[in-house]
Amino acid sequence: MMKSRKKSIWVFGDYRNYYQNRVTLQLLSKAVDLASVIDAEVCALVVGHEIEEWIMEYTAHGADRILAIDHPSLESYSTEHYLALVEKLARERNPDILLIGATDFGREFAPRLAKRLGTGLSADCVGLDMTPEGLLVQVAPSFGGNMLAEIVTEEHRPQMATVRPGTFKEIPHNAERTAVVERLPLPEDLPVPRVRVIEYERAAERDHTIENATVIVCGGRGMGNKNNFKKLDDLAALLGGDVGATRPVVYAGWAGHDALVGQAGKHIKPKILFSFGISGAIQHTAGLGEADFIVAINKNPQATMMKMADVAVTADAADLLNHLIRELKKRIRD
Amino acid sequence: MLKIAVCVKQVPMVTELPWDEKTGTLRRDLAAGMMNPACKHALEAALQIKEEMGADVTVLTMGPPAAEEVLREALALGADRGVLVCDKMLAGSDTYATSAVLAAAISRQVAEVDLILCGAYTSDSETAQVGPQLAEELNLPAAAYAEHLDISGRTLKVRRLVDKFRETLEMEFPALVTISMERYKPRYAPFAGLEAAFCRGQLTVVDAADLGLSPSLLREKGSRTKVRRVFIRKAQKENVKITGAAAGAVSEFLDRYQRKIGAVIGKSIELKKRANDPAGTDE
Amino acid sequence: MQFNPCMKHKLIRSTARHFAETELAPIAAEIDQHRIFPREVIEKMRPLHYFGLQAPKEYGGAALDSISAAIVVEELSRVCAAVGLCVTVHNGVAVYPFLQFASSFQKEKYLPKLASGEVIGAFSLTEANAGSDAGSVETTAVKSGSDYVLNGTKIFVTNGGVCDVALIFALTSSPENRLQSSVFIVESGLPGFLRGELEDLCGMRANPVSSLFLEDCRVSQENLLGHLGDGMKIGLATLDNGRIGVAAQALGIAQGAMEAAVKYAKERQQFKKPIASQQTIQNYIADMATEIMAARLLLYRACELKDAGQPFGCEASMAKLYCSSVASKVTSVAVQIHGGYGYSKEYDVERYFRDAKVTEIYEGTSEIQRVVIARAVLSQPIL
Repeated sequence: MMKSRKKSIWVFGDYRNYYQNRVTLQLLSKAVDLASVIDAEVCALVVGHEIEEWIMEYTAHGADRILAIDHPSLESYSTEHYLALVEKLARERNPDILLIGATDFGREFAPRLAKRLGTGLSADCVGLDMTPEGLLVQVAPSFGGNMLAEIVTEEHRPQMATVRPGTFKEIPHNAERTAVVERLPLPEDLPVPRVRVIEYERAAERDHTIENATVIVCGGRGMGNKNNFKKLDDLAALLGGDVGATRPVVYAGWAGHDALVGQAGKHIKPKILFSFGISGAIQHTAGLGEADFIVAINKNPQATMMKMADVAVTADAADLLNHLIRELKKRIRD
Repeated sequence: MLKIAVCVKQVPMVTELPWDEKTGTLRRDLAAGMMNPACKHALEAALQIKEEMGADVTVLTMGPPAAEEVLREALALGADRGVLVCDKMLAGSDTYATSAVLAAAISRQVAEVDLILCGAYTSDSETAQVGPQLAEELNLPAAAYAEHLDISGRTLKVRRLVDKFRETLEMEFPALVTISMERYKPRYAPFAGLEAAFCRGQLTVVDAADLGLSPSLLREKGSRTKVRRVFIRKAQKENVKITGAAAGAVSEFLDRYQRKIGAVIGKSIELKKRANDPAGTDE
Repeated sequence: MQFNPCMKHKLIRSTARHFAETELAPIAAEIDQHRIFPREVIEKMRPLHYFGLQAPKEYGGAALDSISAAIVVEELSRVCAAVGLCVTVHNGVAVYPFLQFASSFQKEKYLPKLASGEVIGAFSLTEANAGSDAGSVETTAVKSGSDYVLNGTKIFVTNGGVCDVALIFALTSSPENRLQSSVFIVESGLPGFLRGELEDLCGMRANPVSSLFLEDCRVSQENLLGHLGDGMKIGLATLDNGRIGVAAQALGIAQGAMEAAVKYAKERQQFKKPIASQQTIQNYIADMATEIMAARLLLYRACELKDAGQPFGCEASMAKLYCSSVASKVTSVAVQIHGGYGYSKEYDVERYFRDAKVTEIYEGTSEIQRVVIARAVLSQPIL
């Protein structure tokens, strides 16, 4: 039964952890924007078991309608189950747009769904726009993020996109909002999944691995020598962070291989990254894509690292480090 | 013997390609090509399986004639056969069309394939779509972002870390897996292998007609998405420059960003205001 | 004559480049500054046939054609000339004379280990009083039973600090008691084989160049390379081949320096625009690019002659003379384009500048190359 001919923008509810849930909320917010252009409704899909929390969450964050399927067999994420369910729903209701977070799950799920629905998909979008005619303009990065491409799906529906977490700002939680909640039964003809989940557990949050450190102090050859390099530990300790290193430094034995940041080493995503005496070879910068705020210190203001930094301090790295440690010790209070 | 098909893509060797402002296209012709790094990891996984238990490894790519190079490289690394799908009618295919073409190539060229491996993503578009879409085309059980593969009889066990969940999945052959960059670090091709890769005739070139592709897959009809334009990303960083003597630079930096840093480390680094120093400046 | 690289040569280049960029680029400056021979990287190069580039497959080599081998040396040197030097000396003047002159016994014994890089080779002709004048060698090899006893000092031996086998040029007496030079395969473990301190050189500092001392070093007569008195013949043939290697090395250095200079010229802003927009800088770049291209074609021409089994000595000398001169000039201009930064160790061109000079000196100085070339030209009949 068709509820209405009103256009509809769907957001897939990906909620397994905080990070995934956030991107869903961000998508709802963007969907509200896009919907206003074409007078569409925003619809959240919530599939799983014991999902009331998410129905409320998505209502409070902008959904006009919730399509919910709650069943014990959906407790663990199963790409195959979810594919079958969403394909069925989409075929029945013909949404105009379907947005999915570019989480690991979303990046595996969305292309397969697009294929099943015979429609296009642009991946990892960093921007979305709506034309008055209802064409979704999908801005996706290409070539290592240096270029952006504007992509459209002209003829096929739904228009599908996955979106990088953090691209959009979520609407503040509003417990007063209401939405139409449709609780749907689990279809009986759901195929038996061919992929069996043998083990499934939240990965142990390894305390203090450089991958999840919020502050990272990275050093390169510009630190001059091993003694100077070791002082990065002091700064990291003051800021509650970890020390990272470039490849030449690891080769020189100033730091262990564990500290290697870059293509062949760790990919980091700190809130603040200090980069001392690093020129910024692609082998290193490839690991910095998700660093929020970069402070680079280098004698050479032309260094790549200095150009990609939020703050570029032209100075001798080792000298500046000493001053910074001294000054921070004076200033830091709990 | 186990039959493995590995799909690879040739990508430009540089991350920053010159861009033709007039036509709004990338000057792909200016850059040398190379095997996409993630595809190389997938090939490495296939080669390790081959070394462990024996396997016949076919490497497939779709691309211009020059893409033969990545197949020769794959042969040099240890693959047994290469298939190049090359047809002008397929230029500009998006992932939707590409996965359909590769599916046809695998069906025709790799009889009774057991395992299909793809890279988890490509360095030039990062779409990560072809692998999962290929699984749909061939109606195979599939898993993305595999870190480790275990094969026992006809059963494939895949270990992976997705969205902070550690999973072990199990499926029966035939199956498709995309390989993450975590493990399976690619080997370098030995020169004797490179020399030999050009001597043996294990390379097949096929076009759309050979694969019996329907006209609906050719030219723009096969693709669902259309690229309207490509443009250079605006610098999003403010790139504040601080110069001068180290002591002064440190003060300037901390004064300016004390709130931001304080918020991240959960401690205050704002200068204490002294009663006799209303401006709150240090000496 | 092939002017366009074929797919195989492109792939060999990209493979060597990928290796050099990944494994050597991060350490090149460091190992230069501290004179470190990068054993870990050398270890990785062994199974990839870097030490058996042109050795036949039956000895575990890659049996590459000469252009391919030159490309490999060029690509290594583009990033790290000192490692390029280690490889080209090993292949060009250690493995090569084995292939040309060794007995089957010697080939069986040494080539598999040389081609796998398990054994690193050195070529040791130069002495304090014998450089360009190869006939003035003073090291002696005196017959004693079925052995020869070697005494003398070799200097500036590339790979000297790490070689496991050295080809030593020494004076022997002919049955008629005439002094003549001969070549001995000397293993580094032998009593009386001693290495000097590593030389503190201007460039190529990561290569363990050292002196070798032979003090009553007993070498079995089985280890005589070729025949007694073949020294000059082996030396000249080997040097012809070695010159191709040095030319490739010089070309790689020039290429690396030019790329660094072009990158810098596009980035460096003066007068509110990149210096690459200045015509003076563009002139530099045009000249560098043209000369490098000419040098490369000259080098590949010598390689082709060699693979065709034709005499290539004159062309090898031309390639060596021209490539090394281009390397010196281009690295100097590259420093100039970098301005003050180019004179500092912060930038790679400073290293390229130091590395380039020696390519005009070793394996026959530019002056000697001119002698060789002029002799060849003058000996041609007048039409």
